[in-house]
Amino acid sequence: MSFLLLTQFTAAAAAIFCITAFALRLRTFTRLTLPGDRSTPKGDPAKGVAYALTLGMMPWAKESTRRHALAYLRGVGFHLAAFISLGVLLLSPWLGQVPGPVRTGLAILTGSGALLAFLGFLSRFAEKSLKALSTPDDYFAVLLVSMFLAAATLAVENLSLLPLFYMTSALVFVYMPLGKIRHCIYFAFSRMFFGKFFGRRGVFPHSQQKGTA
Amino acid sequence: MSEKTVTALGILQKQINQPLVAALEVCARCGICTEACHYYQAEPIDAHMPSMRAEELRKVYRSEYDWLSKIFPAWTRSEALSDEKLAALAEMAFTKCTLCSRCTINCPMGVDTPLLMTSIRAMATATGNAPEILEMLADAAIEKGRDPGSYLGFFLDSIKDMETELQELTGNPQAHIPVQKKGARALYVALAGAHTILPAAAIFDAVGEDWTLSIYEAANYGVFLGDASRAKAIARRIVDEARDLGVKEIIISECGHAYHAMRWTAPNWFGEEFTFRVRSIVEVIADYIRHDRLKLDPTANPEPITYHDSCNLGRKGGVLEEPRLILKAVTTNFRELTPNREEAYCCGGGAGLVANPDVIDLRMLAGKPKVEQVRRSGASVVVAACENCRLQLGDISSHYGAGFGVTAIADLVVKAMRLPGAAKTIESSMTSVTSETEPARK
Repeated sequence: MSFLLLTQFTAAAAAIFCITAFALRLRTFTRLTLPGDRSTPKGDPAKGVAYALTLGMMPWAKESTRRHALAYLRGVGFHLAAFISLGVLLLSPWLGQVPGPVRTGLAILTGSGALLAFLGFLSRFAEKSLKALSTPDDYFAVLLVSMFLAAATLAVENLSLLPLFYMTSALVFVYMPLGKIRHCIYFAFSRMFFGKFFGRRGVFPHSQQKGTA
Repeated sequence: MSEKTVTALGILQKQINQPLVAALEVCARCGICTEACHYYQAEPIDAHMPSMRAEELRKVYRSEYDWLSKIFPAWTRSEALSDEKLAALAEMAFTKCTLCSRCTINCPMGVDTPLLMTSIRAMATATGNAPEILEMLADAAIEKGRDPGSYLGFFLDSIKDMETELQELTGNPQAHIPVQKKGARALYVALAGAHTILPAAAIFDAVGEDWTLSIYEAANYGVFLGDASRAKAIARRIVDEARDLGVKEIIISECGHAYHAMRWTAPNWFGEEFTFRVRSIVEVIADYIRHDRLKLDPTANPEPITYHDSCNLGRKGGVLEEPRLILKAVTTNFRELTPNREEAYCCGGGAGLVANPDVIDLRMLAGKPKVEQVRRSGASVVVAACENCRLQLGDISSHYGAGFGVTAIADLVVKAMRLPGAAKTIESSMTSVTSETEPARK
């Protein structure tokens, strides 16, 4: 068995572990009570959910993201790049057949993501309040994902580095369900609960223009 | 592990459901919510970050429910619950968070930090760590419901006196305040004291509303304790009264938490959709204006007036436009605070803080952003449709020497109705109210 194949199998095994662990976690989560709401709606909970998962995520939708637009966009960019890198991983056995310009484009996207992720890692050291809030798990998770994105970038540009990408991916997959990265599976639920709550009350989506002093 | 911590963890376990677990698990500790909190705005220290507060419960949750944290607690900074930790959690949840949900709407994940703080409040209440005053107020309300006969005579006498005032105010010798009227269309639930009864009665009289006054008060301190059984017992008095009288609607006076409890939460405590509607008097007055049932003269209120959105009524209750519709009809110089509506800052008095004399300093601190907002608006009068907000606004106006007056929406409406006795009866309430000067209002 070649080294490349060995690393490929390792990544695949880690991915299976990750998917299984997430499936179990989701099964446990969805078996928990989901409290119903008997109050008479003023707005439309479904519209609230749709808003929470779309326009409500826009940088201009919240005071906090307007204020911290760069940090927010850095986070969005880094998460998008993580999903692109997962796509690169799925595509990796056929990466040699992908046209050069497409590969360069992918490398730019994942590379930018790696840079944004690394900036996020540094900001946890640099910003006093973020530092106070961060746990070793936070530092490790963001560093691990930075490495994953960097490895994706290198592998896209140089196929001989695919084993490095596979090994990094394996590490990420093993750690994902154990540490902070698992927040990803709760994201959609959290936004849905948010949308249902505020949608039911007619607070979101906005129906009126805001007045100012 | 002490008995208290076992009980507290049991309460946490009981509360575990999808929304709570999502709120515990989803935070990425990005810190973007930080400045959303009025405590942090007033004093930018780490302990006032909403995510930091929520993290205190997450540490306990991880130590109980996350095996990586059980093996390597330092890795995730998990922390086993102890009596000291429980006391610290209780102190934080009851004094350093007003459950305003401003952090939630500012969180990219939508983390429901108030839900976490309410869970802590429930754990604290079950273990004797809740503020005594809140427990006393909740228990007193429940006791009243058990034996209404013990105070009904006194209550009816005071309503008779109030009726005389109402007749003076309206100039209508037939004006009266119906109590326990079977078959009335609406049951109006006021707060303690004449100030939430008289203006409403004058408005109901003017439009010919078929109403009756509840013998109970709208306030529900069980909500602040995070104690659903006490909150339900308090709400039950009013729900039963509404059913006995056969009303079609419960109208809650200008009180944020009472409105939120009865309108949005109570149906879930009872596990049923109510057969009657629940509205705030603000929504009802707005409807009267929409249907042209009130004659109003906005020049009666010429001062620069602004509106403070109560968190329970506005962001968490959806009553955002109705107060504005009313204020535009009854004033000539209305201006908005910035930010407003669902982005409004909490006044710092919510979630039971106003009732707790031990936290006056924290309360004044938490009210600082609101004072600055009012100053920027140039308003001399702040209107709030919530009793706790009004008390807090009066206190912070005095504390910071801001000099603005505080009033309720119904008071301005009555002024704009140009009633013959308004000058004597209502205008006296336009001066700043404070929790110290108005203990009867609590």
